[in-house]
Amino acid sequence: MNRPAAWLVLAMALGPELAAQDDVTARLAGRVPPAIAAAVSALADSARARGLPVAPLVDKALEGVVKGVPADRILPAVRTVLDQLDAAATALRGTGGTPPSDDAVEAGGFALAAGLTPGDLGAIAQSADRSHPTAVALQVAGALAAIGVPRAQTVGLVQASIQSGGPVGDLVSLPGQVQAAMARGAPPAAAAAGLERAAAAHQAPRPHGQGKGKGNPHRP
Amino acid sequence: MSHELDLPPSLQAEVETARRHVSLSPELEARVMAAVRRRAASPQQRAWRWLTAPSLPPWALLAAAATALLAFVLLRPASVGSPGVASPLATAVGPESIYVRFILVAPNAREVALAGTFNGWDPTAAPLARADAAGTWTVTVALPVGQHQYAFVVDGRRWVPDPAAPAVDDGFGRKNSVVSVSAAQGRIL
Repeated sequence: MNRPAAWLVLAMALGPELAAQDDVTARLAGRVPPAIAAAVSALADSARARGLPVAPLVDKALEGVVKGVPADRILPAVRTVLDQLDAAATALRGTGGTPPSDDAVEAGGFALAAGLTPGDLGAIAQSADRSHPTAVALQVAGALAAIGVPRAQTVGLVQASIQSGGPVGDLVSLPGQVQAAMARGAPPAAAAAGLERAAAAHQAPRPHGQGKGKGNPHRP
Repeated sequence: MSHELDLPPSLQAEVETARRHVSLSPELEARVMAAVRRRAASPQQRAWRWLTAPSLPPWALLAAAATALLAFVLLRPASVGSPGVASPLATAVGPESIYVRFILVAPNAREVALAGTFNGWDPTAAPLARADAAGTWTVTVALPVGQHQYAFVVDGRRWVPDPAAPAVDDGFGRKNSVVSVSAAQGRIL
């Protein structure tokens, strides 16, 4: 390798790290009081060092400021988001296989905020496959929990939908279907139970080895 | 076989002289080696020299920089732009984002805006338009694939969650609505 090329390699290696720090600083500059910006930047550094996405932290700080929340309540909320991301990443890493994507970690954090547990996240991640990525499955699970479907039924419904072998659109449509049933007067649990029975009835036999719990090599 | 056998006698003598081992005195050898060590650079200095010594013409560096800039422009994620087509619910824009129409019925509102994680919670970024006399406000925005939290801002100060969407605690005592965009199907949750 020639010498200027070495400079370029060095710049490319450090570039994303520096760019990420600049991005956090740039997003907060002028919109967030300096003291909060500094604290959020420090939390973002901590998140980055742990392999967690930082955008949700910045979003939460901006949200607090825009909504007129007192400064002393913004940082605790940002820390809560960081804790949720950390818990989600830990739960997803515990399932083995490839490291979880940022999208999956964010979706996991959202699902935890919506009421699921780290164990629920692990169970859903184990069921996910290439056609039904972990991030999408967790987004759906979080949405179901957010509209009032009990935890156990949320996990069961998502798993049944994945195991039915249907297209990912069927999985994505679940919260809308539950909401439609709720609009007709069904409680969330009853609506979810009906959908789970329907999904279970259409379960396709899975080839041996498919599914993360069985060592699926196509884990997203 | 040796070529020395073909040399004339005078040159054979020179060769023999040159082959004789020359011994330096210990003092001289020590002085020479000390001088060599003084002149030798530290690892950091050697690395710096290696990095700074030019080995490519300037135009090559400019070409590399231009290539890097072009790659950055072409490969960066597409930014959210203003929609050209409205859709009743969601329309695929491309593999990375789809248009989503948001609706709020607020008969008494003077202005309504949409703020969320997709626009940095900027309450001025996505104003809704009043669609009818009944107070139906709508806006269509292109959302990147993924999950987003949002709320409506009514009259610049009141934060209202979307009654048609799942909601989660925002950590500040209010509720945020949630929209998840799936590119594969062009659908939203």
